[in-house]
Amino acid sequence: MNSLGIALSLAGRNLLLMRRIPSVVVPSLVFPIFVVIAFSGAYSALTRLPGFPVDKMIDWILPMAVVQSSAFGGVNVGLSLVRDLQGGFFDRLLLAPVSRASLVAGPILGAVVRAFVPLAVVLATGLAAGARPRGGPAGLLMLLVAAEGVAVIAAGWGVGLALRLRDQRAAPLMQVGIFLTVFLSTAQVPLAVMSGWLRTVATLNPMTSILALGRQGFIGPVSWAQTWPGLVALAGGIAVLGTFAVRGLAVAEQ
Amino acid sequence: MSKPAGAASPRAANVEVRGLVRRFGSITAVDGVDLDVAEGEVFGFLGPNGAGKSTMVRMLVTLLRPSAGAARVAGYDVVKEAAKVRRVIGVALQDAALDPLMTGRELLRLQATLHGIPRGHVEARGGELLERVGLTAAADRRVGTYSGGMRRRLDLAMALIHEPAVLFLDEPTTGLDPMSRISLWEEVRRLNIDHGTTVFLTTQYLEEADELAQRVAIIDRGRIVREGPPAELKAQVGEPTLQVVVPEGDLERAAEVLRHFGEPAPARPDSLAVHLAGGAAGLAAVVRALDERGVQPVSMELTAPSLDDVFVEATGRRLEGAQADPAVPAP
Amino acid sequence: MSAGGVVSLSRRSISNTLRQPQMWVPSMAFPLIFTALNTGAMGRATRLPGFPAESFLDFAVATAVVQGVLFGATAGGSDMAVDIQDGFFDRLVSSPVSRPTIVLARLAGAAVLGAVQSLVFMAILTAFGAQVRGGAPAVLTIVAVAMLLAMAIGGLSVAIALKTGSSEVVQAAFPVFFISLFTSSAFFPRELMSGWFKTVASVNPLSFMIESVRALIIGGFHVGDAMRALAIVAALAGVSLLLSLRALRSRLAAG
Repeated sequence: MNSLGIALSLAGRNLLLMRRIPSVVVPSLVFPIFVVIAFSGAYSALTRLPGFPVDKMIDWILPMAVVQSSAFGGVNVGLSLVRDLQGGFFDRLLLAPVSRASLVAGPILGAVVRAFVPLAVVLATGLAAGARPRGGPAGLLMLLVAAEGVAVIAAGWGVGLALRLRDQRAAPLMQVGIFLTVFLSTAQVPLAVMSGWLRTVATLNPMTSILALGRQGFIGPVSWAQTWPGLVALAGGIAVLGTFAVRGLAVAEQ
Repeated sequence: MSKPAGAASPRAANVEVRGLVRRFGSITAVDGVDLDVAEGEVFGFLGPNGAGKSTMVRMLVTLLRPSAGAARVAGYDVVKEAAKVRRVIGVALQDAALDPLMTGRELLRLQATLHGIPRGHVEARGGELLERVGLTAAADRRVGTYSGGMRRRLDLAMALIHEPAVLFLDEPTTGLDPMSRISLWEEVRRLNIDHGTTVFLTTQYLEEADELAQRVAIIDRGRIVREGPPAELKAQVGEPTLQVVVPEGDLERAAEVLRHFGEPAPARPDSLAVHLAGGAAGLAAVVRALDERGVQPVSMELTAPSLDDVFVEATGRRLEGAQADPAVPAP
Repeated sequence: MSAGGVVSLSRRSISNTLRQPQMWVPSMAFPLIFTALNTGAMGRATRLPGFPAESFLDFAVATAVVQGVLFGATAGGSDMAVDIQDGFFDRLVSSPVSRPTIVLARLAGAAVLGAVQSLVFMAILTAFGAQVRGGAPAVLTIVAVAMLLAMAIGGLSVAIALKTGSSEVVQAAFPVFFISLFTSSAFFPRELMSGWFKTVASVNPLSFMIESVRALIIGGFHVGDAMRALAIVAALAGVSLLLSLRALRSRLAAG
């Protein structure tokens, strides 16, 4: 059996577990739906500020909520891993004569597949609530790319932390990390509307480019200028956090 | 109890440990261990909680790196050739690390895939092992619903999926009821006889080592304090122990008498014990001598040395848990 | 019931919370993080016609206080559930302590923590440039509101703890509090909302309470605002006290 086959069967286990613990899945669906509804409801007046590129707040919020739901979905893989580490199941995986990388790649692959579920549900809710994908299928594809890329990055973050801390302490760190990365970007308003330190931080935060990539189809037609920085940010993030995850394995094996 | 000397098979393999050390910060859990386990042998690794048994096993199965020294399993170095070691060993770790959300069959299937069993054989091999450990009926239930004994049996089946040459069992029966324990013992014995599998077994139960192992090593505070076949170790402790319970007032007089018959041994507060120099044959003389001094013993009991005595003799302490041992089934 | 019993049990409840930083650190940190984020992101919203405050930070002080108390007061309930799970609750019940004292002590503990939280939030945000225009009377009123709100939320979570005996269920109730906060005018002025969301926020009692507290901060001290804020939280606290005492009675009757 090659490494890919091993990774696939570990990813399969991850999906199986997702079906068996609805208490993990339900919040990861409910929370982003709530974000879509509450943020676009409460902050609807913000679109009247100069520099806001959409008329309806939901067009701004929905792509962010989709990306955020993927991020939390990705982090959940790290939480499953904590469970495996504490229960000793991960020892069983380490004992298998398979490449070490496939032990990390498996759950991350699982995150990619499982991110589809909140992505589809949240997107459908948003569209039903009146969001308009002006960029057509290409725009939706860009959102898919952004969300899946973020799922991989978040899974790398979750897996890396899980392997280093090996217990429940990892959980809040995983979530706070995701939360801050998303909200210290253009999550709520565009750069042009921000003021002070947040504008500086959001300009530097790669998540801003990733959101621009996923969001462009809800603002207008897809353009290369809005696409490439996001792709670069995703590639960089995957490289950095993928390494973080794989190195974590070496830490766990000490 | 007759102990089968496992028939050597081409897949059998040995374990060789030289000067193995593992430190955790300032604590030395394993402190310079040398060991040899022969092909096809059932080897018992005996010691109290925290003596270093699990640390030792985790190093031998490549889960933990030694701080110093070396170990080879089936000829492969556990650090430099870890991947090869993993191919030839089967491992059932303490607490049967199973995922409670998966079914027995799903776990076996995953284990088979992880160990490179060809796809076409996965189901058949899994079914066969489930049958063998008596879990066919429970195969499609979630492991969370299994009893402790069922979990250990599933764990054993998973450890056997790739027909390992060396099987490591870390406290396989801790916490099991007597019936489950005996059925696990039988399975291990069968494996050793039928397949010649080398078995490295850790335990804190003396009878478990006595029952299964052809040779045992006793570890205490990270060091091996005794090693050899159980019968030999017991013989080294020497004479049987005589326990005498006497009325309170007679304690001193009785002690004086017993001193002539052998070295004193540890005893409960209301009784006396000696290692009876002449063995059982000397019993009558003891009774007579006590009678002459007017001591009327409440009870007398002669016990042959056990592995517990070996442990006491080696460490000066009793093996923890030996008293509270639930293993001995009622006759 | 003895005052001494309430004092010693509420002291235990406070020290229990303080000994578990994961219980109170988020309830202090998150409102401040939200305030910082929202002030940065929405600072310019003050330019929209109809925005009630000149500075977004002033607007956000009331949000931080209410949010912090909401986060923090659930701790008392989940502690109570842990007591029930551990059997400590049974020991209390079998001691000469009067039974309502067990609940009242929890709520008193929550109220003290709420008071401390509100003062800390006001102090920190003032250091960053926020102004409480109503001065000392406004600060005192806000502290009182925070205490009553802490008792209201604490009472609800204690009632849930007594009903279910599970700290997980108490924790799971937390998003419900969060959602009710978010669908009020806590984060954004009602004047600038529209459609169904405005309707929901207009029937949410938290809106009126927060708006009155906010008026004390951005407008100045008016007895009417103070009375309104206090009346709303007092009513909430009264209802939740009744619920928790009733839950206590039914647990004792069942046990």
